[in-house]
Amino acid sequence: MPLKLILQLSARNLFRYPRRNGLLLLAIAFALAGATFTNALMRGWQYDMLDRAVENLVGHVKVQTEEYRDDPNMLHSFALPQGYQPEISGVAIAGWAPRINVPAVLLSERESRGVQLVGIDPQREDISFYADLNIVGENLSGTADGRIVLGQELARQLQTSVGRKVVVLAQGADGKNRERGFRVAGLFDAQAESLEKAVAFTGLATAQAYLGGSPQAGSEGLVTEISVLLADEPQRLEAVDSLGSEFPDKLVADWRTLQPQAAEMFALADMGIYIIFLFMMGGLAFGLVNTLIAAVMERVRELGMLRAIGMPRRVVLMQVVVESMLIMIVGIVLGLAAGILSVAALADGIDLSAFAEGIDAFGMSALLIPVLSTKDLVMFSSLSLLLGLVASIFPALRAVRITPLMAMNR
Amino acid sequence: MFKRCVCFTWFALVALGGPAKAEETFDPLTLVTQSIDQTRGLSSYAEINMLIKRPSWQRESTLYAWTRGREDALIRFVAPARDAGNALLKQGDKMWTFNPKLNKSIRLPGGMMSQSWAGSDFSYDDMSRSDKWIKYYRLEHVDTEVSDGLKTYTIDAIPFDDAPVVWGKERLRIREDSVLIEALYYDQDMQPLRRMVTTEIGELGGRVMATSMRMMDLEKPDSFTEVRYDAMDFDVALEDRLFTLFSLQSRNR
Repeated sequence: MPLKLILQLSARNLFRYPRRNGLLLLAIAFALAGATFTNALMRGWQYDMLDRAVENLVGHVKVQTEEYRDDPNMLHSFALPQGYQPEISGVAIAGWAPRINVPAVLLSERESRGVQLVGIDPQREDISFYADLNIVGENLSGTADGRIVLGQELARQLQTSVGRKVVVLAQGADGKNRERGFRVAGLFDAQAESLEKAVAFTGLATAQAYLGGSPQAGSEGLVTEISVLLADEPQRLEAVDSLGSEFPDKLVADWRTLQPQAAEMFALADMGIYIIFLFMMGGLAFGLVNTLIAAVMERVRELGMLRAIGMPRRVVLMQVVVESMLIMIVGIVLGLAAGILSVAALADGIDLSAFAEGIDAFGMSALLIPVLSTKDLVMFSSLSLLLGLVASIFPALRAVRITPLMAMNR
Repeated sequence: MFKRCVCFTWFALVALGGPAKAEETFDPLTLVTQSIDQTRGLSSYAEINMLIKRPSWQRESTLYAWTRGREDALIRFVAPARDAGNALLKQGDKMWTFNPKLNKSIRLPGGMMSQSWAGSDFSYDDMSRSDKWIKYYRLEHVDTEVSDGLKTYTIDAIPFDDAPVVWGKERLRIREDSVLIEALYYDQDMQPLRRMVTTEIGELGGRVMATSMRMMDLEKPDSFTEVRYDAMDFDVALEDRLFTLFSLQSRNR
C-alpha cells in the first residue's frame, strides 16, 4: 500500500476530531515551547557561568608554580623571560596576561580589609572582566602606575575614596611583610558585590617593585601567573600540553582544573536540561497514549471493515503510528516557533538584580540572557519524534488486534 | 595585650624628653630624632599603670615593660589577676602575643597591626613603629610658642606619597627639652581623628619625661586610655634571653 494513501488516511482521521486533536496539539506545542524556553535559560546561565569563571582572572589556561596553588604568595612567583609571548602551534590565542596575584591587607584611617592584590598590565587585561569594569575616577595608566583601583563596596567599607591613600600590606618575595602607601586611582563597579570586595588592582611593574626581591637581585619580570585566553575554548587541552612543555617545571592547567566547582556546575546544567525535558515530555506521552487509544477504540467498526475488505495488519499499524507522528511533527514545529519567539522577546536579558546577592552565590550575573542552541533544538525535536513513535506502539497494537468479527458485534 | 604595645611607644617617646637642648637654628628633624632617642635609651625598664576609660566601664592594669635599642621590647601585665601573664614581645618588625590561659603565643599578622591593643585606644602600630616620623614623613615647622619659659615647637609630619601611612598628617608638639606634649592624627580630609596628649611631666630614671599620657579617639568623646609611668630605669643591663619567645611564655617574670 502506498505511503501516500496511508498519510491521507491518517490526516483525514486527525481532522475528523478537530477539537480533541487540536487540544493535544496545543499540549505538545506548549510542552515543547516550555522546554525550549527553559533550555535557553539554562544555557544562558551556563554560558554566563563559564564566562565568569574564565574571565574571573582565570582564563582558559593558566601557568603557575606548583607551590603557588597551595600557598599563593610572592615566595612562589617565577620570572618571566623578557619579551615573552606565548605561542602554541595550531591554537589561536585571543589574549594573554602576566599577573601578580597575592593576598594582601588594605588599611585606611579607620578600617582594614583582606583582599587579593592583583598587579596587572591594564592593556593586556582585555581577556578578563577588568576590561568591562565601570571605573569611577581614573583607570590604571599602565604597568608602572603606582596607584590602586578598588571595588566600590570595598572603598565604602574602608571609608576611603578616589584620590585618598590606603596602605597595602603583603608578603614580599623574601617572605617578609612589606608595606606601601597607594593612592586610589579609581573605584570599579562590578555586577557581583563579592568581586568588589575581593580584589584590588595596581600596575604590574609597581607590584614587582613593591613585592619582588631587592633591585640588585634582578627580580624584574617576577609574576605569579600567566593567564591565556584561547580563541576556541575546546582547544584548551592542546594548549595545556603545549604550554606544559614550554614550562616543564610549572603547573599548567585549564579552567576546569582550576575551578572544579564551576566545571561541576557546568556539567550539572547539561544534565539538568535533559532532566527537565524528560519530565515535560514524559507527562505528555501519557496524554498522547490516552488520546490515541480513544481514537482507535472509537473506530472499531471502521477498522474492522477495512480489515474485512483486505487491509493488511501492517498498514493498520502504520496508520496509527503515522497519525501520532503527524500530530507530533506539527506540535514540534508550533512549539519550537513559540519557544524561539519567547526567547527572542527576552533577548535583552532578564534583570535579576533584585536578587543580586542570592544569585551571586551561584556564580551568576544579575542579567540572565537566554541562549538558544541549535544542537539542543535538534535534540528536542528528535527526542519528541521518538517519543511520538514509542507512545503510538500500544494504541497501534490495540488497533491491529481488531477483527471484522469484533466490528460486527458492536 | 594591645595596651602593652602602645605603652611601649609612649614609653619611648617619654624617655626622649630629658637632655636635648634647643638650638638657635631650629631643625624639626633633629628635635624629633632627639625626642625619639631619648625615650628609649640603650635599654630601659618601666612600671606602667594603664587606665582604659569607656562610657560604661573602666579598667586599670599594671604592666612591666623592658626595651632594648629600637628593635626589641617585652611588655607583661602583672595586675589585675585576670590579665596577669598576658604579654607582648617585639623583635624587630615581628610581634607576638602570649595568653597564659591559652598557654599559646601567637605571631601577629600584619593586618592586625592597626587594631586595638588589649582593648585600649592604642594600636599595635603605635607600639611598634616609634621611628616612623623619621622614616616616612616630611617634617615641617609650623609654629613656636613659649610657656613656662620653655619653647614648644609645633611640627607637621606629612607622610610621603608611597609611605605606609594612612594618616593625612600628624601634628606634633614637642617642648625644646624634647618632651612630646601632644600628637594629633589627621585623616586624609585633614580632620583630626586621634589625639595623644601628655597630662603630666616629671622626672623618672634621671630624665625629664612625660610621665602620664592620654590617648583619645576624637570620634568617641567619652573614651580614653591613660598611661602613667610609676617607675623607670634607663640603660639597665638586660639579658639577651629576655627578648625571646621562651621568655614571653614564662609567666613569672
